[in-house]
Amino acid sequence: MQSNEDLEPTVRIRELKKDRVNFVLGNVDLAFANSLRRVMMADIPTVAIDMVEIETNTTVLPDEFIAHRLGMIPLISTNCDEAMRYTRGIAKEHAKFSPCSAVSFEYDPYNKLRHTTYWYETDIKGEWPLSENAKEEEAPRDDEPFDFNAKPNKFYFEVETDGSLGPQEVVMKGLAELQTKLANLILGLKSGPEHDMVANDVTVNGHGPAIDNPWTGGATWTSPANTSATTGWGGSTSPSRGGGASSSWSSQPTPSGGGGGWGTGANAGWGSPERRSNGWNV
Amino acid sequence: MPDGSGRSLYKSTFNTLAREESFRNPPKDGSTYNILNEFVAPHIESFNALFDDSGLPSGDGDGRGLLNLCLKDIGERVIFDGSGRADSENGTGGWGNRMRVWIEQVTVARPMVPDKDRTATERKVFPTEARERLTSYRGRMTIKICWTDTSGQQHDTMKDCGLVPIMVRSVRCNLRSMSSADLVKHHEEPEEFGGYFVINGNERLIRYLILPRRNHVISLLRPSFTNRGPSYTQYAVQIRCVRPDQTSVTNTLHYLQNGSAMLRFTWRKQEYVIPIMLVLKALVGASDKEIFEGVMMQDYENTFLSDRVELLLRSFKMFTMHTGDQCLEYLGDKFRVILGLPEDWSNAAQGAWLIKKMILVHVESPRDKFRMLLFMLRKLYSLVSGACCADNPDSPQHQEVLLPGSLYGMIIKERMEDILNNIKSNIMADVRNGLAVDFNDKRYFLKALSKVNCDIGSKLANFLATGNLISPTGLDLQQASGFTIIAEKLNWQRYISHFRCIHRGAFFAELKTTTVRKLLPEAWGFLCPVHTPDGSPCGLLNHLSRSCRIVTSPLAVAHIPALLAAHGMTQAFTPSIDGRKNLCVQLDGRVIGWARPSIAQQLATNLRIWKTEGKLDVPLDLEIGLVPESKGGQYPGLYLFSTRARMMRPVKYLANGRDDQVGPFEQVYMDIACTPEEIEPNVSTHVEHEATNFLSILANLTPFSDFNQACSPRNIYQCQMGKQTMGTPSTALQHRTDNKLYRLQTGQSPVVRPALHNTYAMDAFPNGTNAIVAVISYTGYDMEDAMILNKSGHERGFAYGTVYKSQIVDLKDMRGASKSTASPTLHFGLGNDIPLSGEKMHPCLDFLDYDGLPHIGARLVSGNYIAAYVDDTTGRTKFVKYKGDEIGYVDQVRLLGSDAGDSELQKIHITLRITRAPVIGDKFSSRHGQKGVCSQKWPAIDMPFSESGMQPDVIINPHAFPSRMTIGMLVESMAGKAGAMHGLAQDATPFKFSEEDTAINYFGEQLVAAGYNYYGNEPMYSGITGQEFAADIYIGVVYYQRLRHMVLDKFQVRTTGPVDPVTRQPVKGRKRAGGIRFGEMERDALIAHGTSFLLQDRLMNCSDYSTAWVCRTCGSLISLGYDDISLGEMVVGNSGSLKPTGPGGEYCRVCRAAAEELEERERQALASGQSLQPPQADLRVAISSQHVLNRVSSKGGDLDVVAVPYVFRYLCAELASMGIAVSLEVR
Repeated sequence: MQSNEDLEPTVRIRELKKDRVNFVLGNVDLAFANSLRRVMMADIPTVAIDMVEIETNTTVLPDEFIAHRLGMIPLISTNCDEAMRYTRGIAKEHAKFSPCSAVSFEYDPYNKLRHTTYWYETDIKGEWPLSENAKEEEAPRDDEPFDFNAKPNKFYFEVETDGSLGPQEVVMKGLAELQTKLANLILGLKSGPEHDMVANDVTVNGHGPAIDNPWTGGATWTSPANTSATTGWGGSTSPSRGGGASSSWSSQPTPSGGGGGWGTGANAGWGSPERRSNGWNV
Repeated sequence: MPDGSGRSLYKSTFNTLAREESFRNPPKDGSTYNILNEFVAPHIESFNALFDDSGLPSGDGDGRGLLNLCLKDIGERVIFDGSGRADSENGTGGWGNRMRVWIEQVTVARPMVPDKDRTATERKVFPTEARERLTSYRGRMTIKICWTDTSGQQHDTMKDCGLVPIMVRSVRCNLRSMSSADLVKHHEEPEEFGGYFVINGNERLIRYLILPRRNHVISLLRPSFTNRGPSYTQYAVQIRCVRPDQTSVTNTLHYLQNGSAMLRFTWRKQEYVIPIMLVLKALVGASDKEIFEGVMMQDYENTFLSDRVELLLRSFKMFTMHTGDQCLEYLGDKFRVILGLPEDWSNAAQGAWLIKKMILVHVESPRDKFRMLLFMLRKLYSLVSGACCADNPDSPQHQEVLLPGSLYGMIIKERMEDILNNIKSNIMADVRNGLAVDFNDKRYFLKALSKVNCDIGSKLANFLATGNLISPTGLDLQQASGFTIIAEKLNWQRYISHFRCIHRGAFFAELKTTTVRKLLPEAWGFLCPVHTPDGSPCGLLNHLSRSCRIVTSPLAVAHIPALLAAHGMTQAFTPSIDGRKNLCVQLDGRVIGWARPSIAQQLATNLRIWKTEGKLDVPLDLEIGLVPESKGGQYPGLYLFSTRARMMRPVKYLANGRDDQVGPFEQVYMDIACTPEEIEPNVSTHVEHEATNFLSILANLTPFSDFNQACSPRNIYQCQMGKQTMGTPSTALQHRTDNKLYRLQTGQSPVVRPALHNTYAMDAFPNGTNAIVAVISYTGYDMEDAMILNKSGHERGFAYGTVYKSQIVDLKDMRGASKSTASPTLHFGLGNDIPLSGEKMHPCLDFLDYDGLPHIGARLVSGNYIAAYVDDTTGRTKFVKYKGDEIGYVDQVRLLGSDAGDSELQKIHITLRITRAPVIGDKFSSRHGQKGVCSQKWPAIDMPFSESGMQPDVIINPHAFPSRMTIGMLVESMAGKAGAMHGLAQDATPFKFSEEDTAINYFGEQLVAAGYNYYGNEPMYSGITGQEFAADIYIGVVYYQRLRHMVLDKFQVRTTGPVDPVTRQPVKGRKRAGGIRFGEMERDALIAHGTSFLLQDRLMNCSDYSTAWVCRTCGSLISLGYDDISLGEMVVGNSGSLKPTGPGGEYCRVCRAAAEELEERERQALASGQSLQPPQADLRVAISSQHVLNRVSSKGGDLDVVAVPYVFRYLCAELASMGIAVSLEVR
């Protein structure tokens, strides 16, 4: 996968419907893809009925049950995070705020990476139907040697929403949310007086060396707040602190805007294919 | 990716729309689920039999209800107004005038509004009213008492017997034969099937009880019989004889060592034994030869038999009675005292009455009784000689069922008998006391009658409410309590199984031997092998198999003897029958003839063909028990049974392909194939209709139960857990007043269900949720049967439950209530002392309305007001508070009035609703006995997910499977997954698959069609890292039940709290905020670990730590005394020295007294010149110095403060009271 390293992340939409989008995310690493999945499921603000005052209840259903059921109704929540200040929530608070009904996620349909083992009784081909996504990839030849350095880099997503947000919006908001989270993280890391301490820790632990980190090259910290750290700091810590920062970080001034580059695959700036090489061992 | 592309191949099979329609518009004729009415039929029909006409021709039953038969059997009481002295001038024998008293008629009315109520337009009372008003559902009972005056003229009067509880949906119930739509109109469920009584708002039913089979002689071998008296042996034969009115008498024939036999019976709980010869002679005046021939039956070579018959005859010689009349005379003379018969009856008449009422009461004529006794003798001798074996009384072959209605009738009969006896004793007491007794004065009789307590209704209500039988005779039953149970509506499964459960008897529960609990092959098809609780009632509390019926009406069999005689049976009266070559033919315990074995075989076959084909009026429910000849086996014969209370079940008769009903007696000698494939030519006689018919309803509802290990307890566990599930208790929840109801708000119809799921209306009362279940060891939180729930699923309402609790506020029970009901002093409402508005508005108005009753929907926390009432005498308002720990909501408020509806409101019933969302610690289970506790609610994003984005609702650990082998659950998971993808209700009936056609392949194909792995596995990804798991995961859809055991009802925690006043140790009990016992075994564990600090912490510091003064000199713990030295020390006594005390003035009373005594003695010794020994304590306990807290200077009272458990001080004090001193050595 060395050849993919310099490639830019790609998104290819295979199908876009009213309630679902099917796309292939390429040239990102697994952690990023999973982060996107998690953010789309749990961190996108939507609107839902949260408080119900019942005057009289003549039904056979108890009050709190009706209130709960009302809360489950998906309400159209487009741009609710900008338009509404209070009455919105995210799925981390309650599942009713999740805009996604399901996010399907797959990589490596042929199991070339051997992350898993397919158990079978007699016949692996007969018992394990290939997924649709297998068409996107080349079937391994029988004599193909196992590439133990290979990393997953092509992720098949299908985001199905409950109708509160459009699928496109979910993905865009998800990306933006991810961006915001990382920005906040970086901001938090940079702003305090404990910089030196962090920096010391990092260097002592030997995680810092910029030399073995191919990602450092692209990381130029142009964020205005970054006044103190010009050497070593950003490059050494940010990959291990959650990744996602990139050279184009400052080119997107409004994290929630999402930009118009959706689906073109030209949306540069999401590149940390080797983030995992530094591990998450803070 | 799975997309369900195969969906179009299948058609939906859930019948959702049809069910919805029938629920909205219940059928106006008939019932939604007719089978429910069938399975409670024994309850209702047996109750109906008390009143109903059986519609049978004369000779087969009396054509009247059992209560009328009871009246006939009770007969009349005779009262005399004379003293009985022969020298008095009154009439014959000095008895004076004769008055006969009897009950002519008994009627029970339907429940009606009392006449006092003039406003009600609907005069009928329906069960829902009784339920909601917490009263009983009762109808008025009246009896017609007749008596004769001195001239023999008959008079009668009606007597009210109070209100008798009426079985719901019986002939005396106002819901009788209502359609589902009408039932709903009367606030019942559309599926209401009745069969129970409503007592004080509770639904109670009389449980089936196993009794010995009636009218059939069984041979017994009981070592305990030898204890009955000298020369008694372990051999006996026994017959439980049942009269037409269903009351019974058990006769036992004991074999004595001298070869003779004694007949035993019970009269008013007292046992009596009579020599069998006496009875045989008394019955028909039989000569010795007749008896000899009758027992020998031409088997003269059998010296064993002839020896014993000879001994039998010889031993009777000493009685010197030769004719029947002499025997009757003798019997009457001996039994006259206890029988209480008319005094002017002769001894012979009394003897005849005794034999009629106590010996072989199932047959009328003495000749039949005689023949039957001879048969019993022959069977007894055969048992003794070893020609036949003892019968097993624990086998269903020799058992029948005590029907609820029969028991009810027996109790009514006994109460009516009591009334007559009381009338008699009342009048006789008047005669004895010399009061004016005039048999011609109607007013006198009515006055005497009014002194008799005729309230049968309250006695029956008491019986039903407590289950205790108060009876002078014991009703020939082995127990006196535990007859009734509450029909708990916890969920539908529990509810319906109450009506099918059958108990072996309370007597057997105490038995140390476990043989009665054994599952016998004879029970096949009648009692479910799976559905029995584990624990103490295991094997004693059984459930009827699904297809098992209980016969509730007598059959028309009067023509059967003639029919059999026409086909080769030798008539019973034929003299000189060869007993070696002929088998006895009996019909309901009456010898109707004899037949050679081959002919008996032919007769049995004929009867079976006739009865299955409905020819020659042979009823289908006739049981044809042909016991073939065998060496040392069961005593042979052809035994026909046509009476009620027998278990029967349908099977197919192979000879003609017709439906047959078989009973447990005959089944033993049949070859019934389980499936058509198993039929063996020329061997099998019958075949089961369904292979699953031997299971009870609940056991049938376990999906794929045949895949679980054959003898595994898992299916047994599921039968228990299905009954503990939080499900849907009722669809008429608004009209229920149960103490506690559990309700699952989000119940679903299972995807995988056996065929019977629909049959028994399970979908009307959903019991669980279809959950996506992954079998994976994910975080470690699923160890040891714990399970992880998906938090998002939980937030969307997975397994969300509600508990409904009742609180009753009865002003009659409050302080300050007046005794009179007419003018109560307490009234619901707010008094003038409550400011209703403004600044000082009373806080109670947040919960209560001006009428003093709570608002519907009010949210209550502990201590909130739930009702208010005004006391007339003080004029103040008092409040009733909510005393639960949890937040409750007022769901309903019921105002309960009196029966006539004419009194002021004094009682309300409040239903509180308590929400119970699943929390960590709540119990769940699948339908395969796999229970587990929720250990963690994991957020959806962290849950593992499949490629299609499915996340499990439930994660369980793979270790739950290997040792338990619940393959059924794995198959259910596959089937559920395929069913969910294709929209199929999967049929999970057991025994549908075979080795050739396996379930795995069937559902595997479906899964592949839906795009899944053949065996139900899926690659899954970690929700946290997104990485694919190294192994693929078994994931599917399993129906999960939420059990009612919730942590909120069970958690117990305490730091400090109440202690026992005597021991000062923490009290026990969750309710009292007590501690959990740290018992001996726990103590052992700490000792074994050497954790002494913990040991001391648990047993001392956290329990009854106390400090105490101990005397260093005498070691006493309990001899502390104080001198008040706050104002300086005092010189006491004539010695003039300072008394030694500690710094606080404490001293040891023993030592001071001893010292003073010693001083005194020394003074005396000095005077007399003797030496002394100091007294020694007899018990010494060493206390190490580290426990000594406060070492006082030794010069004072020489006392130390030590830390000891308080109970130790208590023990010392108690020992001291017994004169034992405990001495502590302080080092």
